[in-house]
Amino acid sequence: MSKLIALPHTAPFAPEQIAALDKVIGASSSVQRAWLAGFLAGMDAAEGKQPAAAAVAGPKPKLLVLYATESGNSEALAAKAKQDAAKLGFAARVQDVADADVQSLKDAGTIIAIISTWGDGEPPQRAAPFFRALMGDAAPRLDGVKFAVLALGDSSYAQFCESGRQVDARLEALGATRAAARIDLDLDYEAGAKTWLAATLETLAPKNADAALAGSVIHVDFHKPAAEAASKSSPFAAEITAHHKLTSDRADSETVHIELSLAGSGITYEPGDAIGFVPENDPALVGAMARAVGLEGDAALHEALTARYDISTLTAKQMKDYAALTGDAQAASLAENEAERAAFLAGRQWIDLLEAFPHRLGADAFTSLLRPLAPRYYSVASSQKLVGEEAHLTVARLAYEAAGRARLGVASGMITDRLRAGGSAKIFVRPNPHFRLPQNAETPIIMIGAGTGVAPYRGFLQELEATNAGTQAWAIFGHRHFLYDFLYQLEIQDWLKSGVLGRLDLASSRDQPEKRYVQHVLWEQRERVRQQLDQGATLYLCGDAKHMARDVDATLNRILADGRDEKAGQAALDALISAGRYKKDVY
Amino acid sequence: MTDKTTDTPKLSHNETIKTNSRFLRGGLAEGLNVVESGALSEDDQQLIKFHGIYLQDDRDLRPERAKRKLDKAYSFMARLRVPGGVLSRAQYLAMDRLSDERGNQTLRITTRQSIQFHGVIKTNLRPALRQIDSVLLDTIAACGDVNRNVMCTPNEFAGRAYAQAEKTARDISTDLLPRSGAWREIFIDDEKVTKEPEVEPIYGATYLPRKFKIAVAVPPQNDVDVFAHDLSYIAIVENGDVVGYNVLIGGGMGATHGDAETFPRVGEVIGFCKVENAVDVAEAVVTTQRDYGNRANRRRARLKYTVVDRGLDFIVNEINSRLKVKLEPARPFKFAGNGDRMGWHTSEDGLHHLTLFVENGRVANVGEWKLKAALKRIAETLDVAFILTPNQNIIVAKADDAARAEIEKILAAHGVKLRGSVLREAAIACVALPTCALALTDAERYLPGLITKLDALLAEHGLAQQPITVRMTGCPNGCARPYLAEIGFVGRNPGRYNLHLGGNADGSRLNRIYKEDADEETILATLAPLFADYAQTRQGNEGFGDFITRRGIV
Ligand code: SRM
Ligand SMILES: Cc1cc2nc3c(=O)[nH]c(=O)nc-3n(C[C@H](O)[C@H](O)[C@H](O)COP(=O)(O)OP(=O)(O)OC[C@H]3O[C@@H](n4cnc5c(N)ncnc54)[C@H](O)[C@@H]3O)c2cc1C
Ligand SMILES: Cc1cc2nc3c(=O)[nH]c(=O)nc-3n(C[C@H](O)[C@H](O)[C@H](O)COP(=O)(O)O)c2cc1C
Ligand code: SF4
Repeated sequence: MSKLIALPHTAPFAPEQIAALDKVIGASSSVQRAWLAGFLAGMDAAEGKQPAAAAVAGPKPKLLVLYATESGNSEALAAKAKQDAAKLGFAARVQDVADADVQSLKDAGTIIAIISTWGDGEPPQRAAPFFRALMGDAAPRLDGVKFAVLALGDSSYAQFCESGRQVDARLEALGATRAAARIDLDLDYEAGAKTWLAATLETLAPKNADAALAGSVIHVDFHKPAAEAASKSSPFAAEITAHHKLTSDRADSETVHIELSLAGSGITYEPGDAIGFVPENDPALVGAMARAVGLEGDAALHEALTARYDISTLTAKQMKDYAALTGDAQAASLAENEAERAAFLAGRQWIDLLEAFPHRLGADAFTSLLRPLAPRYYSVASSQKLVGEEAHLTVARLAYEAAGRARLGVASGMITDRLRAGGSAKIFVRPNPHFRLPQNAETPIIMIGAGTGVAPYRGFLQELEATNAGTQAWAIFGHRHFLYDFLYQLEIQDWLKSGVLGRLDLASSRDQPEKRYVQHVLWEQRERVRQQLDQGATLYLCGDAKHMARDVDATLNRILADGRDEKAGQAALDALISAGRYKKDVY
Repeated sequence: MTDKTTDTPKLSHNETIKTNSRFLRGGLAEGLNVVESGALSEDDQQLIKFHGIYLQDDRDLRPERAKRKLDKAYSFMARLRVPGGVLSRAQYLAMDRLSDERGNQTLRITTRQSIQFHGVIKTNLRPALRQIDSVLLDTIAACGDVNRNVMCTPNEFAGRAYAQAEKTARDISTDLLPRSGAWREIFIDDEKVTKEPEVEPIYGATYLPRKFKIAVAVPPQNDVDVFAHDLSYIAIVENGDVVGYNVLIGGGMGATHGDAETFPRVGEVIGFCKVENAVDVAEAVVTTQRDYGNRANRRRARLKYTVVDRGLDFIVNEINSRLKVKLEPARPFKFAGNGDRMGWHTSEDGLHHLTLFVENGRVANVGEWKLKAALKRIAETLDVAFILTPNQNIIVAKADDAARAEIEKILAAHGVKLRGSVLREAAIACVALPTCALALTDAERYLPGLITKLDALLAEHGLAQQPITVRMTGCPNGCARPYLAEIGFVGRNPGRYNLHLGGNADGSRLNRIYKEDADEETILATLAPLFADYAQTRQGNEGFGDFITRRGIV
């Protein structure tokens, strides 16, 4: 069961203490917690101290990690720097100079600039405009800003680390103070960068204990029990703190990664859970619907069609009801004739019906035909033990063409096309106790997933990393093109390096003449699968229900049958399932 | 860089890699099995070049990658070893199919008469090389510190002398082929086929200090640019037969911006050898470079620098001392030009040969222009051979009258014109962006548009029919031999090039920098008055490069 409140692993207590507190607080009622809060505050007050909550309210010191990159080295270092800085209690941001406005540097607080040199002594291509602005007369004074520069280069070039030098000199000229001496690094920069960053962040780190503490303090709203913090009926409006594509622009379809802030919601989840997302309909479609029934002007209806009703899905019953309501004979005969109706319904939606058989309708009459707009679910792709008060999602943009119209998924389309970082998403948690990591870290796991089916495994792997459980983990992932939609490739590489992930097998379906899917990998690896299962491994399967799940089941059946007939295979598979050792989360 | 303990210069890292590679194996076999990354270790990236393969990443995609938690878009480029560029129709067909199934759906004819495949991802590399092997081709030594693809003036079906020159090219290529079984072991059979210890009788365990390039020319054509290579042969033809070759050494194009230590250089004629001694000469030159080449600084490791540093006489003595039959005095020769002979030609046996213009060597299907499909159709249906030319074009060879008519039909049906403008046909550009890791700017993708503008400019001055060699590269390495062009563009920064002028039509004279770091506007504004002046004051049919030189403009 997902706890109502869990102290983050960063809480200033020993693991067993955290567990103990979780037990008490987790099971406590709102009244009990409110009392406890008051009591603790009172304790400090009695000793003349400020209550902690007040002490830590102060904002974290700002740190801007700027990078200029061509081939990604600086970018990778910048990401690392941000992580480390955050651990030290900074409010750290990473920014590509290509997206940075020179004027904004005034308020950057502290800047760590990671700059590579290209051409012969040129800045990276995308960084050129920023360089011009920075070197130009219009560049702002940067008095009060602190900075340190890490320059990447190749000493075999005449102008070694030239761009880094320029930035270093220019920032000083603009009045900023150099917090650490610039370092010029050659192609073998990793080690040097590591030590320099550590030392520099050390010197910059906020010495003030409260500020440092602020890095790990979780603000829980004690007055609102978490159980009610968010639900289908009253979802939590989570701020979107990150929103970016995971797939290449060359990919056949788009998948995005979003990060939601749960701060203040008291929402907690476990890897394997799903996040319920409450969508709104596409304003364009809402407009078209209103127009189709002659109610353009009706603001209330617009509002209702946007947020309350499912205006896309069209059912047989709805066709009949519409025909009845409008008394449209043609529509009626279509709705009554089984075959014709099915043919019409295939790939069609409400808007198609309304435009095929247009009638002016009253708002209430119209909405009485519609079903409520249902939330959509997305596997949580993170672990709170690693990301704290955040939830990450992996969302595939559903776009297809049917019955002569381009269609866009209601929720996925909203998330990919209309939501952006800084906006918010209405969410709640849907616990999924049947799709959890094994209780026992000794149990090996085999994670099979394709497309967004890898999402929950990112949560699993984050969890294994945070708890360094030492679990034997084997992933079998599928995608279309190795180069274009290998989701979370860089993170997976790190997990393989660190050993959190023991083995990875990939199936790219469209990189070669013959199609290759996860079930093909399973079959090639059947010996290893059997041997892992003999060692008590738990199997996980996540992703497309229609095709993948069916083919994987058939293949597992053959593998388990191990020469015997199909019934034997099925029996063995069922045994695994009832033993809770074959867990599925398919959709 | 010299290390403290001794004053002998410190060997470059690549030397250590070679030494520890067990004859070019390194960690390649294992690295190719790593699934989560499309790349190889730094050291193996150097080693795999010896097998004709480069690790690259699509630079167009770099901006999107890391933000999306994607690794760089790594893929391999594989280059054939095909001396003189001669392919049977079956071989051509196999390469065409390979590019569709495992590559980026294009074939890239190179300036050394080879074919490159781009965009071969790791999981496709072994299958791709097996397809290559299945038609008796390979990629061995197409890159790396060894002798590269041996060039030869086409075409062997056009006459005895050409066939004899082609044979010399093949003999040299075979003789200088590394003996290591690594290629077959790593990419084809997936298991050890050769029992170590192996020996490299010519190269030794650390091979050469740097790449080594050989070309064979049959005058009056200098299409292979004999002055640009480490070692070149100029066929001396008497009554239709090659009696021997003038030998040149010490040519090379590559240089580095802002590094005066590096420079392009034209080769020098050092003597004459009989046909039967051509291979011995190659071995003598190669082993001399092996023993005296610079193994400390790779930027100074080509034979041209060995010649400059040790002196020509020293090197020539070394070479002679390694020869049973010493070099004789060079014989007279004359070159007409360094371009290809475009269009149809008919040999004495009555067979027809079409040198077909392929813009920058890229065989593809683009819109109405379906060159790749056309060549495929020709290979499928007609008994012809294909020869890749030194200027990135392709010869459809040995067509009888019926085949010739059929070829013209097929090309027309696929929207392929036989010829381009005079300027365009002679122009070549290197690959550069997006695949070349060293590119500072575009070349192949930019030159066609620039040519259109230059053509217009030339037309204004009635020079549309005047042959002028234009060559462009995306960086100073000189892959399209730009320093020998009458107009050379050498990439310097995004969209900006150093403008070189003053090469001559037969490719025997280096051009010089006239304008640095010029964008398109500057390029056109700079050339316009020069074209005008040339149109007015040229002497007779003086070439543009000669005009520039005579007038002391560079
Ligand atoms: C494909 C080709 C250009 C073309 O458009 O046709 C080419 C392409 C590349 N050349 Fe080249 N070179 C090509 C002919 C040349 C020539 C011309 C020639 O050989 O006649 C030269 C100048 C002659 C010379 O060697 O001096 C040439 C001088 C270089 C150099 C500079 C060598 C030097 O000593 O300075 C490099 C860089 C290096 O070796 O470090 C280089 C490196 C490269 C690489 C492999 C970049 C790299 O090392 O990562 C390029 C791959 C680009 C790509 O994405 O395909 N390439 N390269 C030519 C392939 C020839 C072949 O089939 O083997
Ligand atoms: C437990 C669970 C976990 C999930 N996890 C994830 C996840 O991590 N990532 C993720 O991206 N999704 C996930 N999903 C799927 C997600 O919930 C949504 O179903 C998905 O985003 C589509 O919703 P939508 O509103 O965008 O599309 P909708 O507007 O609901 O449209 C979907 C409907 O369109 C129709 N349709 C779809 N394709 C076609 C076609 N080609 N032709 C004709 N009609 C078609 C079908 O009727 C389909 O039901 C999960 C689902 C579940 C149940
Ligand atoms: C074509 C090219 C040009 C380069 N020019 C320079 C240079 O002029 N000076 C320098 O110090 N480094 C130069 N470098 C080296 C890069 O700065 C170095 O690889 C760096 O790690 C790249 O970092 P990035 O991936 O963040 O861009 C060059 C690299 C390449 C491939
Ligand atoms: S000249 Fe430079 S840019 Fe062009 S292919 Fe060669 S190395 Fe690449």
